[in-house]
Amino acid sequence: MEFDRELIIRAQAGDRSAHEVIVNHFSAMVFRLISRFFRTREDVEDIAQEVFLKVFARIDQVRPDENFPGWLARVTVNSCYDELRKTRRRKEAMEAYGPEMAAEQAVNPREPDSLGKARLALQRLDPKLRVPLVLKEVDDMSVEEIANTLGLTQTNVKVRLFRARKKLQSMLGGNEGYKR
Amino acid sequence: MNDLKDFFDSERQRVFEPDSFFTQRVMARLNDGKERRFRDFVIWEPLTNSTLPVLAVALVLILSFIAVEFLIPQLPQRGMVDSFLAPEQSPTESFLYNDTDVPSRQVVLELITLEDQE
Repeated sequence: MEFDRELIIRAQAGDRSAHEVIVNHFSAMVFRLISRFFRTREDVEDIAQEVFLKVFARIDQVRPDENFPGWLARVTVNSCYDELRKTRRRKEAMEAYGPEMAAEQAVNPREPDSLGKARLALQRLDPKLRVPLVLKEVDDMSVEEIANTLGLTQTNVKVRLFRARKKLQSMLGGNEGYKR
Repeated sequence: MNDLKDFFDSERQRVFEPDSFFTQRVMARLNDGKERRFRDFVIWEPLTNSTLPVLAVALVLILSFIAVEFLIPQLPQRGMVDSFLAPEQSPTESFLYNDTDVPSRQVVLELITLEDQE
């Protein structure tokens, strides 16, 4: 925590070496979070770079006493959310006015059929529901952590998780609900 | 086993790690962005690409109008036909048709009488 605090103060003063230490120190965490939402290394790398550029552009907004990893996670997840919404809009436009995006729609041949179906169902889910669900189920975040990361109330997160699960169940045939 | 649970378990294993040059790439973009902000800032930068052609056309039209107004000499206030017929007009006709001051009825009648006598 003391390490973060000193680092943030140096970064806010424009110290390039502090920026470098921040990237080195937190890039694995940022990559891990983005990997939950995007499936190719190129996408993950592009978004990770954007996240760090955003972070340094807004570094003045961080209070040195604030939980920096939490703030960074929030910026990362929000960037993923924005990107998922953009991808979804592009996909809808392609489906409405052009050929389908085959790569997105196809099931990976190396993937078992059931996992492929689950992946496609998750991709079709609205990012508003998908992001909290993935954070909960894959990243094992608590409802409180998800609420802090997404800037929502805990009740709102619970509602979104409930709707996401219900929608996934209906997409996968109704009776294939899952229990944790 | 449940499909979704298996899927989430498999997703948990799928993690990309940054390569050893990732930090250098971010720092290069950071330095590049900072330099460019100071070097390339021009007044039209905030304008979106779609408005630039419209503004360019408007600017060309305004400049053309100013050029026409200033560079092309002013012509006398008469039309092409008037200019063509001017040498054939007698001073009386010229007075009648071209003079800006409208003569009084008395003067006009006198002039008509003079023309008839000729």
